[in-house]
Amino acid sequence: MKKTNVHHRKFKLLYVGKIIRVMKITAFLLLIAFVQVSAKSYSQMTKLKLNYHNVRLSVLLDDIEKSSDYRFFYDSRAVDLSTTVSVNSQNSDLKEILDQVLGSSLTYEMVNNNIIVIKSKKTDIEGVSVFQQSLSVSGRVTDSSGQVLPGVTVVVKGIAVQGTITGANGEYLLTNVPSDATLQFSFIGMKNQEVPVLNRSRIDVKLAEETIGIEEVVAIGYGVQKKKLVTGATGQVKGDDIVKMNTTNPLQAMQGQTPGVSISSTSGQPGSDMKVTIRGLGTVGSSSPLYLIDGIGGDISTLNPADIESIDVLKDAASAAIYGAQAANGVVLITTKKGKEGKAKISFDAYYGVQSVAHTVKLLDAEQYKVIMDEQEVNSGNAPYDWGSLTSIYDKDGNLNNTDWIDTMLDDNAATESYAFGVSGGSSVSTYAVSLGYMNQEGVVGGKDVSYYERYNFRTNADQTLFKDILKTGEQVSFVYKQNNGIQVGNQYNNSLRSAFNSSPLTPVYSDNNPYGTPYNDTSNSDWNNTEGNPYGLMMTNNNNENKNATFSGNVYAELQPLRNLKIKTVFGSVYGSSEYRSFTPLYHFSIYSYNDTRTSVSQNMSHSLSMTWTNTASYDYTLNDHVFNALIGMEAYRYSGTYVSASQADLKEGFDDWEHAWVNNGTVSSTDDGLGASGYPYDKGRSVSYFGRLGWNWKETYMVNATLRADGSSKFARENRFGYFPSVSAGWNISNENFMKNTRNWLSFLKIRASWGQVGNQNIDNYQYLAPIKNSTTYYLFGTTSGSDAQSSYWGAYPSRLANEDVSWETSEQTDIGLDARLLHGRLGLNADFYIKETKDWLVKAPILATAGTGAPYINGGSVKNTGFELALDWNDNIGKDFSYSIGVNGAYNKNKVGEIPTDDGIIHGSTNQLYDNSTEFYRAENGHPIGYFWGYQTDGIFQNKEQVASWNADDKHGILQADAQPGDVIYVDQDHNGTIDDNDKIDLGNGMPDFTYGFNISVDYKGFDFSLNANGMAGNKIVQSYRAQTNIYSNYTTAILERWHGEGTSNRMPRVTRTNYNWQFSDLFIHDADFLRISTITLGYDFVKLINCRVIGKARLYAQVQNAFTFTKYDGMDPEIGYGTDSWVSGVDVGYYPRPHTILFGVNIEL
Amino acid sequence: MNNIKPKDMNKLKNILTLGLSVLLLFSCSENFLDVESKTESNTETFYKTEKDAWRALIGCYDGWQCTVSNGGFAFYVASEVMSDECFGGVGHADGYGYQAVDRFDISISPSDLNMFETTWSSYYAGVYRCNELIAHEEQVEWESSHALYMGECRAIRAILYFDMVRFWGNIPLFTEPVNENKEQSDPKEVYKVIFDDLQYAVDSIPSDAYPKSDAANNDGHITQAAAKALMARAYLYYTGYYGEEPEGVSKAGVLQGLEDVIAFGEYSLIPQFKNLWPAASSSWSKEGSGYVQTNTYAGDGNAETVLAQKFNYTQDYNGNNDGNEWLVMMGIRSFVAVPYGYGWGACTVNPEILKNFGTGDTRESASVVDLEGEGITAMDGFDKNSKLQQREYTGYTVKKYTPMAEWRKDDDGNWSQVNAVVGLGEGDFQTSQYQNFVVMRYADVLLMAAELGSSNAKKYLNDVRRRAYTDAEGNLSSSYSEIEATKENILKERMLEFAFEGQRYWDLLRQGIDVAANAIAISNYSVLNGGNAGTVTITASKVKETEGLSQIPNNQITLSDYVLKQNTGW
Repeated sequence: MKKTNVHHRKFKLLYVGKIIRVMKITAFLLLIAFVQVSAKSYSQMTKLKLNYHNVRLSVLLDDIEKSSDYRFFYDSRAVDLSTTVSVNSQNSDLKEILDQVLGSSLTYEMVNNNIIVIKSKKTDIEGVSVFQQSLSVSGRVTDSSGQVLPGVTVVVKGIAVQGTITGANGEYLLTNVPSDATLQFSFIGMKNQEVPVLNRSRIDVKLAEETIGIEEVVAIGYGVQKKKLVTGATGQVKGDDIVKMNTTNPLQAMQGQTPGVSISSTSGQPGSDMKVTIRGLGTVGSSSPLYLIDGIGGDISTLNPADIESIDVLKDAASAAIYGAQAANGVVLITTKKGKEGKAKISFDAYYGVQSVAHTVKLLDAEQYKVIMDEQEVNSGNAPYDWGSLTSIYDKDGNLNNTDWIDTMLDDNAATESYAFGVSGGSSVSTYAVSLGYMNQEGVVGGKDVSYYERYNFRTNADQTLFKDILKTGEQVSFVYKQNNGIQVGNQYNNSLRSAFNSSPLTPVYSDNNPYGTPYNDTSNSDWNNTEGNPYGLMMTNNNNENKNATFSGNVYAELQPLRNLKIKTVFGSVYGSSEYRSFTPLYHFSIYSYNDTRTSVSQNMSHSLSMTWTNTASYDYTLNDHVFNALIGMEAYRYSGTYVSASQADLKEGFDDWEHAWVNNGTVSSTDDGLGASGYPYDKGRSVSYFGRLGWNWKETYMVNATLRADGSSKFARENRFGYFPSVSAGWNISNENFMKNTRNWLSFLKIRASWGQVGNQNIDNYQYLAPIKNSTTYYLFGTTSGSDAQSSYWGAYPSRLANEDVSWETSEQTDIGLDARLLHGRLGLNADFYIKETKDWLVKAPILATAGTGAPYINGGSVKNTGFELALDWNDNIGKDFSYSIGVNGAYNKNKVGEIPTDDGIIHGSTNQLYDNSTEFYRAENGHPIGYFWGYQTDGIFQNKEQVASWNADDKHGILQADAQPGDVIYVDQDHNGTIDDNDKIDLGNGMPDFTYGFNISVDYKGFDFSLNANGMAGNKIVQSYRAQTNIYSNYTTAILERWHGEGTSNRMPRVTRTNYNWQFSDLFIHDADFLRISTITLGYDFVKLINCRVIGKARLYAQVQNAFTFTKYDGMDPEIGYGTDSWVSGVDVGYYPRPHTILFGVNIEL
Repeated sequence: MNNIKPKDMNKLKNILTLGLSVLLLFSCSENFLDVESKTESNTETFYKTEKDAWRALIGCYDGWQCTVSNGGFAFYVASEVMSDECFGGVGHADGYGYQAVDRFDISISPSDLNMFETTWSSYYAGVYRCNELIAHEEQVEWESSHALYMGECRAIRAILYFDMVRFWGNIPLFTEPVNENKEQSDPKEVYKVIFDDLQYAVDSIPSDAYPKSDAANNDGHITQAAAKALMARAYLYYTGYYGEEPEGVSKAGVLQGLEDVIAFGEYSLIPQFKNLWPAASSSWSKEGSGYVQTNTYAGDGNAETVLAQKFNYTQDYNGNNDGNEWLVMMGIRSFVAVPYGYGWGACTVNPEILKNFGTGDTRESASVVDLEGEGITAMDGFDKNSKLQQREYTGYTVKKYTPMAEWRKDDDGNWSQVNAVVGLGEGDFQTSQYQNFVVMRYADVLLMAAELGSSNAKKYLNDVRRRAYTDAEGNLSSSYSEIEATKENILKERMLEFAFEGQRYWDLLRQGIDVAANAIAISNYSVLNGGNAGTVTITASKVKETEGLSQIPNNQITLSDYVLKQNTGW
């Protein structure tokens, strides 16, 4: 077990006052299952090479432990290991050696393959019998999953010497136990348990795991480390906790679990991406963390949650620095489940649920809409509408149409289901874990026909031990196939839901006027508004597309251990991805703008890509007295390539002109003008080569120092700038190990402080950015008198589309972290706190250049942002009586984001325009001294209430009015610079979409087979810009918020009067909403029937019910306050019609055999 | 307990050596990291062959095209809005940017600080492409087309700078492809480059490089004649606006250039004025249950076209920018009335200007749409969908440049009016418009020659005028009479001949800012805004304050850290 850096540990049975030495390999394998361990098994045939002369027996046993996986247990009172022995074995097995060294007074028993109990021949293990009224007690000890536990210490409480250890089958036997005694069961990693004997002769015990033990190991770069010795800031979420959340995307399950890791959805559509920000946004470029699945880059969102053993997040630079140029935004290490030695374990998990929308937005109904439309006209000096003269707003019976478009778009009965099947197990030479998963989620907008996500997962992990201790190999293979279809969820022009906000309630959803035989109403001949169309009809008709993706990934490794402390490992990993897309545009007609009368068309594309990573590492452990050193050196090479091909056709043959037959072969056109098209190109190749090393030291596990260095070479940069160097150093001090802390140990069992510093990089830009490319596509100028693309095809031109910047290189993130970990009150209370300063500089940014440069801006290194934050996590685990156990975890993180220096003369990176509605202006930007992506607009100061107020407002020439012809009811914009005009200089920082504070908590309770848990997460301090209405379209519907409008003096001092123009809707704080929220993300109640069934074969038979997205406490009036969406990657919280995440009620089952 | 034994040490050494060799396997990996694009070349590999130069030249033409197809507030549209021919117009609920331009008064729409940013960027992008080709001229291994290609390239640069320097007046001048934060140049230096480039084009492009007989294949190229005519236009503008003679360019030389073009015989006035314009030369009549079009359009590349900026309907949202993006602005607001297509209603026509057309002058009806006179106001839905949506409605819109519509029969045999671009390319009425912009007509060559004092001045003037008074049957109107070639007559004729062709504003401005200001100023002129009575007032002082120049995009000024200076009045 050296490879895991887990050393044997001595612990005391306090009441006995004796030391029993325990090497806990078995326990370790059983309990600390997330460690990437390949269990070696030592049969008694294992040959050992030993050459000792006159050493103490304890030394010999110690060394055997260190060089093998044999572990010795003994009762130090009965066994004297101070005798000196000599042994010279070149090729003896343990049995021979022990027979030789134990002499006449000692004997041993092989409990498990590698656990050896040393006993005195005289006393044997029953201990001293002093009681008369006594009985023999036997029983079996298992863990919570029913696995037997060998090596558990069982003692009679209060009687010093009476005790035993469970055997390989978990059975124990104690004789001469007083009938009124209490048995104490203890085992590393498990909670101690006391059971009164009460005259029973058989007592079976199930030990509960310590929820968070400091003996756990966590994944670090290219290895694992004891949590106790970790000197960086990392956070871990266990696979079990992720599975319990029943999310399709593991990232969603991680919400609120790790302080400092902010996760929000970019859309509630099934299969949508999550936006993950670790310790604040550090760049205006790519800010996604690096995801490594068993060491190889991959897509976490498509992992089957049941395959995940654990997820470790490396938050500080020192932890991440060994990943160098890819780690500036943090690293997420995913470890998948491995098999364990023992009999096969079979698991089956399934759930089925129904989703709906938790909260909808109310738009004006028909009568309200009419009132507002009339008022809009009157306010603009026109007569109200003559509703009676219109015909298309009434149905056949003469009733006013009254369509709730939002309600029409939503599906309250969308299914979600998942089935996962797993088998794992192994023998002493090989272990395996195989799993199969299927999931399917339907969308709550439009339903399954237009929005769904379906996925198949298959995975095999296996490890083999070859040549005994010398060589190990293993392989992991995973296949993911996913298929999805979705409605448009992008900006205002590519957003199916948004059009529902802008359609009047006066048109019906269905009618028989559609020219193409669909049942949806066509508004082309509407006498109310022939431009508004039919958002539902369009979504259902013109949403024929599907994505299919298959990803095959795998890695094989071989680990050679030529010396007992040296390991050389080589890993070859590969990810092959292929994708396919097909779409079909039918003929349709919904308004004079929204139609396709010309020809049906089909488009297909396919691509595939292959990435390969080869990693070689060598690690060496070295102990000198109490100094423990470990060193790692390694190299990694990476390459990526791929191909893309697409084709399009049009005017599909009759009978073949529907979605089912929409394949390029069925098209009939022969010119590009008519829709014939093809393209194909290779993906830009990516290559990188890296070298890295780590050196660790600790002294008695009390003082720890780690240092790493990585050199990365990337094909993305010019030759001279290819290599970047990323150092880190970190240190920790386990104060609780110090003598002066002795007095506090009764309440403070563990206390560590740590500090770290490091630099990491970001190289996420496209290839060839250091060159000036010659663009030769879309550069046509047609000479002659014919038109069209056929005519122009020979007239393609070329020009340099970007300035060259040979100097472009890595973005660098430098972070200092100070942290504290503690366990208090007998381990029941855990506390972690971190303070950090993270400065990201030399952004890879396409800083705007002067237009006079005449071409595209190159990527440059410039710009910086500082994130400062504090994270705190507390957990409490306890039980009341033996049946009731509970735990509570609370965590929170505060982050402050401040841009330091934008590399342009004006110090601003501008946001996009036309985002809130047509022709709307810039409303967010990154600017020196403000958070990245802050909302930039006017402050308002209420509403003009009367003509006198308007007239006198700017009397002093210091209170400008934006509206050319302001009237009572118009918005008062604040003239910040008091110069008598309202212009850009009066726009200020109105907040931003990033939370100041993120938090989460979870509660879990177990009682006699029942389990209950609750998870919650929340954000505070973030703002949402809400813009549902196309303010330049006078017929657009309003939300019911407009009912609070100004319509006479004193009626409102916030919501302006309605007008035909948008001049009260220039970007201001009227668009800004507080988005603080607390979401109860899951509530689960389950019961394990295993006790009722009482069948040995079944380890678990749990049924449960769960509510996801159960309640959301927020003041925000949109459908969902958690909006990661923004036009650019560096802005979030923009709600232009957001696909909400569903509210789900589901039922599930977990079976283990 | 873990002391390494000597034997182990040796083993360790061996292993470390082996390990390091593995690690170093890639240290000779510099080549491993070398990758190159298979679909794009770069500046290190381009500009080598004459074929490269030809592609680069098309790139320059495309750059010129992009000054329109990139969208934004186009030079042409701004020229019309600023002139006395049109108001700003656009939708009733739209921003007031067009009004600010029309009134020369940014206080009407103070937040419109960057109206011309796309325009500015697109012009400099075009200049950059020319500069790159010019900078690599020596590097190209030329075969036979050296002078021709470079002549066209230089002419494009001249056209771009001529538009820019007229529009903004004070612009940074770049004749090399560099990224520098430069101060604005003295306009005189800009004109020096314009005249040099045009002279270079005149000297380099053979006169017979692109004969009219092959217009079907070569229309759109800048010819020697076009360069000569542009030279005259630049000369007239420079001398008029700045009141001084340009260095190295003589009036006589410029005039001689025009006389050469006239004598060349390649160009002529087409017989009927209306046939120059797609909309004016198209009419539809009902025949049985359907409709039939009569089309007398003279066609692209006709004998009168000296230079046209070409557009195509292939514009899409995938980066193809080929369309006439300003055309949609000129269309009737939100309404289709064959042969006029759907548009945004910018540049509503100032009816005052129409009073200048004499009886029998065919140019009036070829130039403007009379909404009432042509029966459009009586059409179903016009009031609600168009008139009430329109700002500064005057009853007249521009006809020379307008989106088109046509009658079409659907599969069920029903006829309906649809935008003509439907079914072409992307078929989007906003981007697929493809009417070419005629930069230089032969009529202009004649009138400039007359203005510059040609001995045939009177003939040239009256040739143009006579054609205007010739009706569809070829009969000369009885109202026609010859006029003298006085400067006043010539300028008035230009107003009528080139109405709505983007010339008027510059013709005014080159008569001096006072003349221009007084012509443009208008007081309380009645229009309809969203169906309500409204007025237009443009004060001469505002025009004068700006010197007729336009707003420089504020984003560029701040980005330059105020090295760029805003024009006065903005």
